[in-house]
Amino acid sequence: MTGGPRHYIDEAGLHALIGHLLADPAHQDNPLRTPLNDLFKHSESQRERLERLVRISDGYHSISHRQTLSLTEQYDKQLRRLEKLARISDRYQNSLRELSEALRDSALHDSLTGLDNRRSLMERLREETERAIRKGTPYGLAILDVDRFKSINDQFGHEAGDKALCAISEAIQRSLREYDVCGRWGGEEFLVLLPETSIESAMQVVERIRTGMEQVQLRFSEDDTARVTASFGLTRYRLGESFSDTINRADAGLLKAKMEGRNRVVVAA
Amino acid sequence: MNDLNIASSQSTPGIESDTNAGILRMHGDSYPENSFEFFDPIIQWIEDYLRLRSEALHLELRLVYMNTSSVKAMMDIFDMLEDAHGRGRAVSVAWYYDPRNERVLDLADEFREDCSFPFDIAAAPQ
Repeated sequence: MTGGPRHYIDEAGLHALIGHLLADPAHQDNPLRTPLNDLFKHSESQRERLERLVRISDGYHSISHRQTLSLTEQYDKQLRRLEKLARISDRYQNSLRELSEALRDSALHDSLTGLDNRRSLMERLREETERAIRKGTPYGLAILDVDRFKSINDQFGHEAGDKALCAISEAIQRSLREYDVCGRWGGEEFLVLLPETSIESAMQVVERIRTGMEQVQLRFSEDDTARVTASFGLTRYRLGESFSDTINRADAGLLKAKMEGRNRVVVAA
Repeated sequence: MNDLNIASSQSTPGIESDTNAGILRMHGDSYPENSFEFFDPIIQWIEDYLRLRSEALHLELRLVYMNTSSVKAMMDIFDMLEDAHGRGRAVSVAWYYDPRNERVLDLADEFREDCSFPFDIAAAPQ
């Protein structure tokens, strides 16, 4: 077949014309009448079949289209739910993590001064002792006790005493090197741990703390001001001993410093 | 229908229902070992109430910590309320949080996001 414009026939017109010809008695004896009649019926039934087929096929198509739409909708909804679930769950998890960090922090720090507390200091001492043994580089250890702290409490009250402890802890921290550790050992006693430090260098740091504290002016009100000093016992860890031996030696130095007149450092070598 | 009265434990919230008043209360932490088992009677009670009664339903929540499957169960519960609300039922939620724990406010707010029924979040000392 060659191309060319397709010939569209007027189906309804043709249908009417053939119906009319078949019904006309003038063509009653035409030999083409019977085969034309058969062809006409056959064409009619073929047309109906085709229409039914299209109708059914369109129906299936629209069902499957609706199903796809509703599946997509359900999928999107579930996805949104899942995202919401993860979001809320993550938030709960974060708040728990922060809570556990806060608990850990409060377990290891002194609530008044924010310095390491005794429990944390013991942990650091254990670590530093292990490191000193491993590397053969002992640490310096100082214990300091605020001189006549009781008189601050007695004279200005406990709140003033608390303020004084905070000012003192700040003064100590200002004099330390970055890797030194300072904590509150007891009431007005502080412990300073100086990793991998010779006794001469440790002495310099501790003297810096002592003179730094002399500069602190405590002001409790307009008229109430006071100055504080502290006494220090300084020693160095001896390889092989337990750190409680080191602490005892520093304590003995501290006692000696108190007896010798306070506001001084005594090295207990 | 039977009312719920489940005492709170370290890992499960306390649950009390009052069928005549149309109130369900949930309070405490929720991280049960088997969330589906724990929440099943609660979801069942809400379903029954919505099916058998025609009065309003009010949820009073004082939930603090929840694990993931509890979050999912609560989302299911709020979906049930949303459906009921869509059918014209009177449903409402009031979520009370400890003002010292503002995070719960944000979380309750996340839950509220897709709910069109009355959902109040208010600070209340525990």
